[in-house]
Amino acid sequence: MCASVKHSSRGPALIPRMKTKHRIYYVALFSVVLLGLLATGVFQFWPHSIEASGDWAVEKRSAAVPVVRLPRDSPVPERGDLSCRMHTCFDVYRCGFNPKNKIKVYIYSLKKYVDELGAPVSSTISREYNELLAAIADSDYYTDDISRACLFVPSIDLLSQHALRIRETAQALAQLSRWDRGTNHLLFNMLPGGPPDYNTALDVPRDRALLAGGGFSTWTYRQGYDVSIPVYSPLSAEVALPEKGPGPRRYFLLSSQMAIHPEYREEIEALQAKHGEAVLVLDKCTNLSEGVLSIRKRCHKHQVFDYPQVLQEATFCVVLRGARLGQAALSDVLQAGCVPVIIADSYILPFSEVLDWKRASVVVPEEKIADVYSILQSIPRRQMEEMQRQARWFWEAYFQSIKAIALATLQIINDRIYPYAAISYEEWNDPPAVKWSSVSNPLFLPLIPPQSQGFTAIVLTYDRVESLFRVITEVSKVPSLSKLLVVWNNQNKNPPEDSLWPKIRVPLKVVRTAENKLSNRFFPYDEIETEAVLAIDDDIIMLTSDELQFGYEVWREFPDRLVGYPGRLHLWDHEMNKWKYESEWTNEVSMVLTGAAFYHKYFNYLYTYKMPGDIKNWVDAHMNCEDIAMNFLVANVTGKAVIKVTPRKKFKCPECTAIDGLSLDQTHMVERSECINKFASVFGTMPLKVVEHRADPVLYKDDFPEKLKSFPNIGSL
Amino acid sequence: MQFWRRRSLWLALSASSLLLTLLGFFPFLRLAVSPRPQPAAPQGWPRWLDTASLRSFSQPEEPPEDVPQPPQAPHGTSCSWGICFDTSRCRGDGLKVFAHAAAQPTSEMHRRILASLEGSRYHTRNLTEACLLFVLSPEDPDGQCGPAPQHWNGGRNHLVIRLHPDPCPQASQLGQAMVAQASPRVDTFRPGFDVALPLLPEAHPFRGGAPGQLQQHSPHPRAALLALAEEGGRWRTAGTYSSTCPWDGHCEQDLGPKQTRPEEKLPNATFCLIPGQRAEASRFLQALQVLAALQEMAPARVLALRQQTQFLWAAYFSSVEKVIHTTLEIIQDRILGASAHPSLLWNSPPGALLALSTFSRSPQDFPFYHLQQGSRPEGRFSALIWVGTSSQHPLKLIQAVAGSQHCAQILVLWSSEKPLPPKWPETTVPLTVMDGHRKVSDRFFPYSAISTDAILSLDAHSSLSTSEVDFAFVVWQSFPERMVGFLTWNHFWDETRSGWGYTAEMANEFSMVLTAAAFYHRYYHSLFTHSLPKALRTLADEAPACVDVLMNFLVAAATKLPPIKVPFSKQHQGAAPLAPRIPASGSQPQPPHQDCINRMVAEFGHMPLVSSRLRLDPVLFKDPVSVQRKKYRRLEKP
Repeated sequence: MCASVKHSSRGPALIPRMKTKHRIYYVALFSVVLLGLLATGVFQFWPHSIEASGDWAVEKRSAAVPVVRLPRDSPVPERGDLSCRMHTCFDVYRCGFNPKNKIKVYIYSLKKYVDELGAPVSSTISREYNELLAAIADSDYYTDDISRACLFVPSIDLLSQHALRIRETAQALAQLSRWDRGTNHLLFNMLPGGPPDYNTALDVPRDRALLAGGGFSTWTYRQGYDVSIPVYSPLSAEVALPEKGPGPRRYFLLSSQMAIHPEYREEIEALQAKHGEAVLVLDKCTNLSEGVLSIRKRCHKHQVFDYPQVLQEATFCVVLRGARLGQAALSDVLQAGCVPVIIADSYILPFSEVLDWKRASVVVPEEKIADVYSILQSIPRRQMEEMQRQARWFWEAYFQSIKAIALATLQIINDRIYPYAAISYEEWNDPPAVKWSSVSNPLFLPLIPPQSQGFTAIVLTYDRVESLFRVITEVSKVPSLSKLLVVWNNQNKNPPEDSLWPKIRVPLKVVRTAENKLSNRFFPYDEIETEAVLAIDDDIIMLTSDELQFGYEVWREFPDRLVGYPGRLHLWDHEMNKWKYESEWTNEVSMVLTGAAFYHKYFNYLYTYKMPGDIKNWVDAHMNCEDIAMNFLVANVTGKAVIKVTPRKKFKCPECTAIDGLSLDQTHMVERSECINKFASVFGTMPLKVVEHRADPVLYKDDFPEKLKSFPNIGSL
Repeated sequence: MQFWRRRSLWLALSASSLLLTLLGFFPFLRLAVSPRPQPAAPQGWPRWLDTASLRSFSQPEEPPEDVPQPPQAPHGTSCSWGICFDTSRCRGDGLKVFAHAAAQPTSEMHRRILASLEGSRYHTRNLTEACLLFVLSPEDPDGQCGPAPQHWNGGRNHLVIRLHPDPCPQASQLGQAMVAQASPRVDTFRPGFDVALPLLPEAHPFRGGAPGQLQQHSPHPRAALLALAEEGGRWRTAGTYSSTCPWDGHCEQDLGPKQTRPEEKLPNATFCLIPGQRAEASRFLQALQVLAALQEMAPARVLALRQQTQFLWAAYFSSVEKVIHTTLEIIQDRILGASAHPSLLWNSPPGALLALSTFSRSPQDFPFYHLQQGSRPEGRFSALIWVGTSSQHPLKLIQAVAGSQHCAQILVLWSSEKPLPPKWPETTVPLTVMDGHRKVSDRFFPYSAISTDAILSLDAHSSLSTSEVDFAFVVWQSFPERMVGFLTWNHFWDETRSGWGYTAEMANEFSMVLTAAAFYHRYYHSLFTHSLPKALRTLADEAPACVDVLMNFLVAAATKLPPIKVPFSKQHQGAAPLAPRIPASGSQPQPPHQDCINRMVAEFGHMPLVSSRLRLDPVLFKDPVSVQRKKYRRLEKP
């Protein structure tokens, strides 16, 4: 780059030698290109180093961390209030600044605390706590503005109580700038208590602070206030266990923990003696050669197994409490897709406030260890397989990294503060495969709306006034019509004067649109006051009053479906390898035409505001297929098929047959097929459901006096 | 000149090459520069240089945790399920509840509660087989807490029902007994052990109860968005859909003095804010915040919440019986542990009282949850042919049914006095003959031999063609939770007799299908046998015509929807009618033993049947098109 600039600036002086300079110039050009390539290479291969060396945030801990000396008599917080609940000890008004129903979390900067003699209060920050704070700082929850924060996280590492000086740590907490008896402060601890009695919650006095703790028991856990979190297993990051398909595995039951109380070990070994090969009980290895990581090996007699890989060989894995209730083994077991059998009385399972552990684990009281085998045997295979999948999913979503644990904890607290915006049970618990395949029908309540409500007819029109008036007159004869809405889609012409419109017994309203768009017919107009909508074209004059009234009655019995007259079908074209639109009179239907169809008003809202991708614009641009789009939309959200009513097969009026040439028909079919393929690709699936039935009145074509039938004039093809 | 021309050429060339290189460079420059935060960027957690050298929080050299503590002894308020309840006493039959002698009804509400318990399938009159003892705490709010009843045993395996919050101040006094009460205090309530009840009004009905008031999925926008409950049963409303009406006093309206009937005092609002017991000065501010939050709420969520309130009300709250049965079901779930109701069964229609956990724990085994599970019912059915006393050999019927491509097996339930015929027709599907007990309710027993989701229930004298069977089954697959049948009855309100009646006459509507020929899910056999009160099953055995009514009641109570009628060819109707076993006209007084419909309405607490005005036909049914096009031709034979 520089070379070429120089060269050209020097140009005038070189004029006499120009001829010989040709070559030089080429060389210069090549060198420029070469330089460019070189630079590309540099940036391609050293991006990290460039980023890292320029990163403002990388700091040397020893140089950057200020030291805080704690006087011996500096205040110690109260022990911790067992009666604390969100409405008594948490100040929600500090969360008032938080937009989008998301709490803001502040992290105190790192300091080194020393006692009066200069001895450090704790060892340096652990790898996991460093990771945890980095995860919070990288998340949407983070704020650096202490005055706007709702939740405060100290940078004092409390993950393991073992490494702490209790009193001095508490003093360090108390002098945090916004401590205020610990209100809205969140402390993380995974290994609470210490010998000999191993308390189930952190022993550091912490007053009103919330505790995210691993290993809570019912006695220490403040329901709805504290958060029970997993004990992170460092093996999660070290060992990659690929997901294994569900099903029975080599061992039915495995016990792999090393520190088990001798009494419990005896009981489990008794199970092994009774059931033989199906049960495997492992212990630590006594005769390993030097240099082998003992934490990654387990032994049964003289047989050596790799841990945690051996967990993948078992269907059920025992997770017994040790001195602590929370065990890192739970994480390993879940990672292996082994169903944990949790034997730890009064243990509050991790994230049990939101996670449904019944779907992923079996909890057995300690006094029933001897019955474990028979309890597990009674679980049907399908349930066991679901538990295996669920166990693995819990690990992937909430256990596998410190980041996952931190974010789940914050989400739980967030859900408590904004309960109306909380994540649903399904979102917490359903594995992605279930979320993908399941349908949650927006109109799930089984009920038949009252007939008295009636329906609103919406006629989309452009300028066919004569035909429109006929449609209005015909539709107004339907007993359950409660209102008629004309959507005037012509911006260049005014609708006829009021006096010219047909006089009908129900209110008639005209809505003028801003643009001539097909999607205007599916807009959720405020004027629609009924749940039921009849969309009808301005040339549909062949439907009888009985036919329309019956259509409304059918809609009442299926209010979550599209109820229409002529049915259509989609087919897979094996030659072309794509979908095809079929209007032949087949034995099956998967769509109904919306030239005349009843449906719930809510689908207008969905069509206008929730249509996936660019379908809505695509329909407006092509002036076609709005009905197919509606069929896709409704089938996709409800998972249900349309209902075709009565024998009606086509809408064509007898007098307009002349304009329908064969060629027109064929172009039409090609376009409609294109629509189906386009929509299927946008939806990512084919939501349409094929059925072989249509709805007729109960006595249709039955040998019964016509005059006694409710709907005698049901129309023809 | 030439030089100049050349020079300009070179100049142009070099300029363009300069441009190219610069253009080529810029993306890289941008890539390298942009991740650098601006100096003013917020300060996150620093990326420490020594991260790699940090040690893990759990050190392997930590002392091994091999000294477990003995479980702490249960004390007072800190009971949990595993410690304070002895499940070993419930082994075998599962939950069995005995109403304690001390629980003498002292009021109408107590009487209803005890009657609900006695109607439960978990009730026992035998103290020795009980694993849960049911104690009603005195109704009188200032009544003495009374001496402990017999067999109290520290309250172990006792359930104390308290209708009023805390008549006895010390919760610890109840020791290891579970407490079910309305508005429990958060500091004495033991999650997973105690049960929180709704506050039961004095007039709460014993059985059935009014359905939810929502008659449609999304009613008109209500007058008010939010109503705030105030002292003395009054409501204050705020906010409308159409305008962003602030909580500034202008939109408030006092809805008048205290009114006693609940339906009158309920405000016309989308949301109702019901503050807890503590009245705080900040309530005004909270209401304002709630209002702001509700205005942001997506319509889809409002729609879902509104429907869920109606489902929960109808499934668990609308009567004393439902509240008590729900309480027992919660305890039964705790006893079952791993095989308890999954969350989905509690929280979606028809609810846990109608979805028996003893049937299966996998939601896809039930007829109700295929959509949520992304599953579908099996593509085959089992024909269950009931041979009664006066029936002939169902030879033709077996052949017609076996001809269906969807038929997996045929089961013959021989309930006749006649000896079993020695020869059975050769069929392509397995045929099993079972000996029945000569009771009509037998035909709805959940036989383990039934291997498919769908059952085609048949009477020996029924006559069906293979086409009819095929089409009906294909329809059933779209509606696996409903009954799909050929012949129908309709119920009606008889003004003259002030009671319900039913008729087999051809009509424009129907609400029942005959089980002499109907498809339904095998789950309904379990529901029939295990959830119906014994009195109803006995009634059906005494009056065989009642069994159809009963089955239709049961399915309608679960689905809240009508059954489905499919076409049935006339030719059979003349030859061997699917015998309507009731008098043709319903308006005539029926013999008392046949007046089962009113007894069932009394037992169910309401009329569950729903009428339908449609029949599902094949798409080309009786259309004037070539018969060659039609898949179900035989259906149309005159």
